Amino acid sequence: MQQREEKQLEAAVESLTSRVAHVKNSLQSFIYKLENEYERLTWPSVLDNFALLSGQLNTINKLLKNDKTPSFRNQVVIPLLLNPDRDEDLAKLTEQRVPVFSHEIVPDHLRTKPDPDVEEQEKHLSTEAVRIGPDAAQKQIQTLNKLCSSLLEKLNNPREDRESENAALRQNKPSFNPADTTALVAAVAFGKNLSKCRPPGPVAPGHPGQGPMMTGGPTLQQVTIGGASGHQGAIGGQGAQQTGQPGKMPSNIKTNIKSASASMHPYNR
Amino acid sequence: MEAPPVTVMPVTGGAINMMEYLLQGSVLDQALDSLLHRLRGLCDNIEPDTFADHELVYLLKGQQGQPFLLRARRSLAHPAAPWHLRYLGQPEVGDKSRHALVRNCVDVAASHSLPDFLNEMGFRMDHEFVAKGHVFRKGAMKVVVSKLSRVLVPGNTDNTEQLSLSSLVELSVLAPAGQDTMSEDMRSFAEQLKPLVHLEKIDPKKHT
Repeated sequence: MQQREEKQLEAAVESLTSRVAHVKNSLQSFIYKLENEYERLTWPSVLDNFALLSGQLNTINKLLKNDKTPSFRNQVVIPLLLNPDRDEDLAKLTEQRVPVFSHEIVPDHLRTKPDPDVEEQEKHLSTEAVRIGPDAAQKQIQTLNKLCSSLLEKLNNPREDRESENAALRQNKPSFNPADTTALVAAVAFGKNLSKCRPPGPVAPGHPGQGPMMTGGPTLQQVTIGGASGHQGAIGGQGAQQTGQPGKMPSNIKTNIKSASASMHPYNR
Repeated sequence: MEAPPVTVMPVTGGAINMMEYLLQGSVLDQALDSLLHRLRGLCDNIEPDTFADHELVYLLKGQQGQPFLLRARRSLAHPAAPWHLRYLGQPEVGDKSRHALVRNCVDVAASHSLPDFLNEMGFRMDHEFVAKGHVFRKGAMKVVVSKLSRVLVPGNTDNTEQLSLSSLVELSVLAPAGQDTMSEDMRSFAEQLKPLVHLEKIDPKKHT
């Protein structure tokens, strides 16, 4: 029975130490970032760090509240050996924070009461509390409560205002219009709805694209320039839509091909 | 002039492997200020750039169907600045695991005789437009918020008409091919602009 308890305690101490080490590491890296990388540090990453810390502290809290964790409060630590000389192992274990396990520091490190200055402050506060009468104390409590509740109200109300404002903004005033997005994207990609500078005559490209030409006469265009497709074909289709003269198109294309091949010729030689 | 790409790879052996990762969206004029405000907060803490560019899209038709498209841009705000010539490849949108549209991209600075040169080569201008707006950066990412206008009289950029009541919003990264982790970063950045703007990978082919 006792052995099992001991094992449990050991395991609990071990996991607690490792969790605390995690917190320590995260704190260290966060402080390092704050001190050395503050120029590049972004707010989202600061928030990430805070979230990490709070998560780790939460796990420690959960661990301490766990039923399987024995109550550390019931454990007693007794110093068995005090040594005025420097202890290298101890210094290494504590990262040079506690180099000596001597009479001078042991009472401070193993004390179960608050730190001396905290104790002093507490004593001061309790004498103060005794000095003012219960009536005055009651009055002070009431004023403090009043202040707190009014402050809370102030903090809560603007948030409601803001939220309703945001909701209104979302419902009544969209900040973007999907139709505009597609129109703008098509404009930069293919010049849709932008003024065509090309004269509608011989230079007009006439690809069988998504334009109305496809249904008309699929003979000549497909044979000559059937390789066109995708993006560029779409441009051609756009051009065909704009000229809108299905009867004339085949001749346009013929001249177009010729002129294009003529202009290409010098570079092929 | 829209800012040049962040990374410039040396062109070796004719293999140019820079890809542009792109997400697009739009914002209505009345929400433009809030978007700019948010971008100022989210992006790198440098003075945001404004630009006014004139883009001319040139087309070269070879014998083999596929016309060849080049985009020439000049700055209206800085007439002395060099022209910017850009080739964009076919967009790849099919891959569901990638959160952004990916396309080949080649950027070159060019002299002011670029239009004449392209004309001599057999290129013909297909269309032109004027884009005015703001550029933001966040690391390798570039956010361009631009208002597009059509040019009413060819070549005259003073006589323009706004295309719509929205501004185009583009989030892009230039990276060597295969760096698909980029699209993850882009998606998480795009998340932060919601619900003001929804940046998506939009297949332009679907909207012809």
